[in-house]
Amino acid sequence: MIEVRELVKSFGDIRALGGVDFTVREGEIFGLLGPNGAGKTTTISIIAGLLSADSGSVRVSGMDIRRDGRRVRRMLGVVPQDIALYEELSGRENLRFWGGLYGLSGKRLHDEADRVLELVGLTDRADDAVREYSGGMKRRLNLSAGLIHRPKVILLDEPTLGIDPQARLNILDIIRDGVSGGMTAIYTTHYLEEAEKLCDRIAIVDHGKILAQGTLKELVKLAGEGNIVTVSGAFSREQVNPLLKGVVVEHLENGSLRMLIPGQAELSGALGRLFSAGIPIGEVSIQEPSLEGVFIKLTGRELRD
Amino acid sequence: MNAILLIVRNDMKRRLRSPVSIICMFLIPLGLTLLVGLVFGRHGKVELSHIKVLIADDDRGFAANFLKQGMKQGKLAELIDLVEVDPAEGRSLMDRGKASALIEIPKGFTANILDRKPAEIALVKNPQESFLPLIVEEITETMAVMIDGAAQIFEEPIGEARGMLTGGRWPEAAELAGLLAETKPRIALVKGYLSDTLISIGSETVSAPGAEPERTLNFFALIMPGSILIGLLFISEITMRDILREREAGTLARILAGPVQSGRVVAGKMLSSFAITLVACALLIAIGRLAFGIAWGSPLKLLAHVVGSILLCVGLMAFFYGFIRSERVADAMLPVVIIVLCIFGGAMIPFEAMSPAMQRAAVFSPSFWVIDGLKRISIERTDWGGIAPHLAIVYGLGALTSLAGAAKLRGKLGGRG
Repeated sequence: MIEVRELVKSFGDIRALGGVDFTVREGEIFGLLGPNGAGKTTTISIIAGLLSADSGSVRVSGMDIRRDGRRVRRMLGVVPQDIALYEELSGRENLRFWGGLYGLSGKRLHDEADRVLELVGLTDRADDAVREYSGGMKRRLNLSAGLIHRPKVILLDEPTLGIDPQARLNILDIIRDGVSGGMTAIYTTHYLEEAEKLCDRIAIVDHGKILAQGTLKELVKLAGEGNIVTVSGAFSREQVNPLLKGVVVEHLENGSLRMLIPGQAELSGALGRLFSAGIPIGEVSIQEPSLEGVFIKLTGRELRD
Repeated sequence: MNAILLIVRNDMKRRLRSPVSIICMFLIPLGLTLLVGLVFGRHGKVELSHIKVLIADDDRGFAANFLKQGMKQGKLAELIDLVEVDPAEGRSLMDRGKASALIEIPKGFTANILDRKPAEIALVKNPQESFLPLIVEEITETMAVMIDGAAQIFEEPIGEARGMLTGGRWPEAAELAGLLAETKPRIALVKGYLSDTLISIGSETVSAPGAEPERTLNFFALIMPGSILIGLLFISEITMRDILREREAGTLARILAGPVQSGRVVAGKMLSSFAITLVACALLIAIGRLAFGIAWGSPLKLLAHVVGSILLCVGLMAFFYGFIRSERVADAMLPVVIIVLCIFGGAMIPFEAMSPAMQRAAVFSPSFWVIDGLKRISIERTDWGGIAPHLAIVYGLGALTSLAGAAKLRGKLGGRG
């Protein structure tokens, strides 16, 4: 459905994308997971036709976005990261404008506006000015404006940014409901749990490159077989290092140790040696294989860094 | 619905919901007109440059001399530069626009007055000037009333004096004493019980023979065209600024992510700026008529000129916004540009009160053609020929700046199909 090939984009001396390459299959929700500045929004903007790539190509349903720009854009729905609505107009008026731009009119426009208002739970407030909406309500309306014309592909650029956890869960439910029925979606986020819950396949992006992509199961396997054990305390590297023979150490510095331990017996053995040697341990955390682990393994840092 | 009309409708709706900025820009020209009007009054005094008036005197009688001397006395001498010419030279100078007006006093003018027969003075006005010829017309009319009044009051003594002077001898002292004795009580009795004046002013504008002259000069009519220009420039500025605001708010990117060509988005934005400015201008003109009593002249000419003027203002702003990248730059740059345009166009200092050097520079300012065109339509009631250069300039420049501005803005938005 969407083929992104070797996208390169620079802004002056800064290389935002360094050869992004992925394929999204019809009907799936594809996640672009990465920290701020990883290149997610630049990728979405190129697919939406708002930016042109320095090199590389994007094809949607076999059509090139450069040659068939208008036809491709007619198939797309875009939900931008920043709320892009007219504050002085009501929710319904906003939807009628955005729907009108995609060629909806008359009864169909009216009905589609009602449908998406119901989908995002704003029917009661549809005729209030958007400036009177809460942050969560604006986010929901922002989302509905991208869905009003029933696009074949929806590009969702961090649609839950800046809202509380409960409102975020609500938005995820709406997306799941809205996207059902054959719609293809690209969803960018820097929240691991959103990608885990929502996406069929995920690409991990950092510094303008895709580091890994696949289903959640496939990605987790990349983290290796075993748990990540993180130990912190008032110890030095020299004190701990001799006690870690036979253990896969991912990271070790004064006061911080991260190990990959395959099983329960190995875990007991490693921690036992540290305690027996009188190492001052403050905290031990054990993390089962997860996307977070994959991200740490691939980038050497946590996503929230 | 067509994307252009959809954008226009959306922008109009938004302006209606949040009209504060437009109202402020709308109140500026009204407040300015009212303030200047209150300061100077409806017939207030304006510091003007000297009005050059030609006088062709074929009469050489005392009534003609009275008129000439009257214009060389006191305050009128400060206002009027009176130059005597022969009629042919006077017409030639007027055809070349070298004076504000030509007064032609025909042969037999004094004799007709003394014989209490109708007498006529011809006044030829310069169509290149808005209201200076009207001032000359008012002064000439006043002088004519004075001459006629004097002729009525002193009919008998003048008749006697005429007999004495035409008798081929200088009157005796006793005859003069008798004449003065008869004159004195008549002066005391002048209380305005005069019959209708017999002197008429035949007025014409040299290159516009069929044009109906404006009989009364409303001071607000002089100020309001300049104030309207200020309003048009500021309103078109804030409406075109919307393209920057929408870009910063993200709504422009969202529009461009849809199946809309960037050229259509620019056209929609320019058309909505045009429509909003047109509505504001129509309101200003209506308020000018109702509140300030300005007779705007031919509605068709006014509409043609106003449409061209708005096209010019919107085009100029589109052109500037093609280069401006942020609101901060717009805030710093555009008010200065607008004020310079207003000053040179005569919106703040009337063209007639400008120094000759500034007047020469003013004709290169597009705003001059907007203001002068409005004055010609409303004050002078000029024909189409009188505003043809104005229409050519406002439409020509308007089209040029609109096309250049649209191309630049389209490029700025990505310029894709």
